[in-house]
Amino acid sequence: MKDCTATVMSNNEVARDTYLMVLQCDLPIAVPGQFVMVKIKSSLDPFLRRPLAILHYEDGRLELLYKVKGKGTTEMAGKKKGDELSVLGPLGKGFSVPAEGEDVMYVAGGTGVPPLMALAEHLKKGRMIVGARSKADIPLWERMNKIRGVDVQAATEDGSLGRKGLVTDVVEDELSGTKPRVIYACGPNPMLKKISQQARKAGARCEVSLEEYMGCGFGVCSACAVKTVAGNQRVCMQGPVFDAALIGWDS
Amino acid sequence: MIDTSVRITEGLSLKNPVLSASGTFAYGEEFSEVFDLSILGGIVTKGLSLVPKEGNPTPRVYETACGLINAIGLENVGVDAFIAEKLPFLKKFNTPVIVNFFGTTDEEYESMAGRLDIEGVSAIEMNVSCPNVSKGGLEFGKYPDILERLVSKVRKATKKSLIVKLSPMVTDIGAMALAAQEGGADALTCSNTIPAMAIDEQTWRPILGNITGGLSGPAIKPVALKIVWEVSRKVRIPIIASGGACTWQDIVQFLLAGASAVEVGSASLRDPFCFSSIIQGVETYLEEKGLSSLHDLVGQLKTS
Repeated sequence: MKDCTATVMSNNEVARDTYLMVLQCDLPIAVPGQFVMVKIKSSLDPFLRRPLAILHYEDGRLELLYKVKGKGTTEMAGKKKGDELSVLGPLGKGFSVPAEGEDVMYVAGGTGVPPLMALAEHLKKGRMIVGARSKADIPLWERMNKIRGVDVQAATEDGSLGRKGLVTDVVEDELSGTKPRVIYACGPNPMLKKISQQARKAGARCEVSLEEYMGCGFGVCSACAVKTVAGNQRVCMQGPVFDAALIGWDS
Repeated sequence: MIDTSVRITEGLSLKNPVLSASGTFAYGEEFSEVFDLSILGGIVTKGLSLVPKEGNPTPRVYETACGLINAIGLENVGVDAFIAEKLPFLKKFNTPVIVNFFGTTDEEYESMAGRLDIEGVSAIEMNVSCPNVSKGGLEFGKYPDILERLVSKVRKATKKSLIVKLSPMVTDIGAMALAAQEGGADALTCSNTIPAMAIDEQTWRPILGNITGGLSGPAIKPVALKIVWEVSRKVRIPIIASGGACTWQDIVQFLLAGASAVEVGSASLRDPFCFSSIIQGVETYLEEKGLSSLHDLVGQLKTS
């Protein structure tokens, strides 16, 4: 992990309240599913860094896709080309790499798009299912559809894009056909719980990227604890990607 | 040659006045990947209980203006696992290890102090901001008579330097400090997080899983400064400051108020690399002011 000064190259709204920020910085190499902690400014408010999944990092060019939710991300959305912020990373454990020829499925709900898109762009194979309230909430739809080797479908609650309904409905349909060997998922916990059950029924491995409030992002404060069969684990250290079968979904 | 060292007690000398703080440093393993822990004045480890503790439900932290509220719930590996698995690693560094601990009865405190009276532990820091189960949940750190009795029992159970970490939520912090001193404390840590909470106005629910938590960070630094100053005028034993220090300027301010050393906690969650620049900043300050030792600063606040 390294703390580096990053320069904003661009920062544009790509879906409702969702921004794509491109930064120039010198981080060590990251794997899909890892994240960074972003310090938005040097003054003491906001005090903590923001944990954000890495959408893409290559040759000193870092892409972060984030939704404006509170004080920190509102300030972030106001950043212009040339502004600087501090990026700590790469942090956490990423997704496992599937074996050659293993069929994979990516499921992203709400703000869960970045780590899965990172993985899909890296693996260049499989099926991707994206869910949101409405078409306007789905970021980078065109880019997603251009990922070579990846077939993309959408589910929206209002039916404005793809199937009307939940992402898990599409997963259910897909699993009645060709079953993937691995399902990768990120999104709200109820969605992840459901997908974990669907995967088990279909005999597929399932890896989930969890979200939790974080203090530090590098394992010292124990804020982001998640209950697993092996006791408490820290989302920032042992995760954010976990084997879904190990998570205590009901605790 | 600038001398940044400071002697807290007979058994505890620090090469500089900057310490990690309990609860924000875990057991040093993660930070050892970030910087050489030997640069620190000392390592204060995460609070230990007699048996391992799982902690509170999430969310466990919430950011507030210039700080954060935490309700981790004192999650820790327990004193035995600490001694077996964590202490051997910490002993490799050339800096004192100060072990924070807490209990729910007098006997638990005594038992833990006894177990921690071993090679590799330089001092123990007692957290007394905990409910006393045998006294119906009254905090040990809120009543001078209860505190003095507890400290005197722990005193008999250990030959290590004994530091008592006071709670800020008391009517008369000076009286608590004197009680700890009378009980036999070698030094005091002033002080702890301030009880706090956060509410979501949309859902009408508390944000933290535990409903309430403790406020830390620069938001509480002025409170901690005043506590250090007040306590330093009451006791003859050294004070370690704790509460929102983020910069070398904060360290100098705490020293002027009467602290001999300062713990840096929340700042290291935000900036894991902060310790070396803070330590360097204090040294440069002494040099620029033409001061040869830290003792020229401690308690030198001018009030007239």
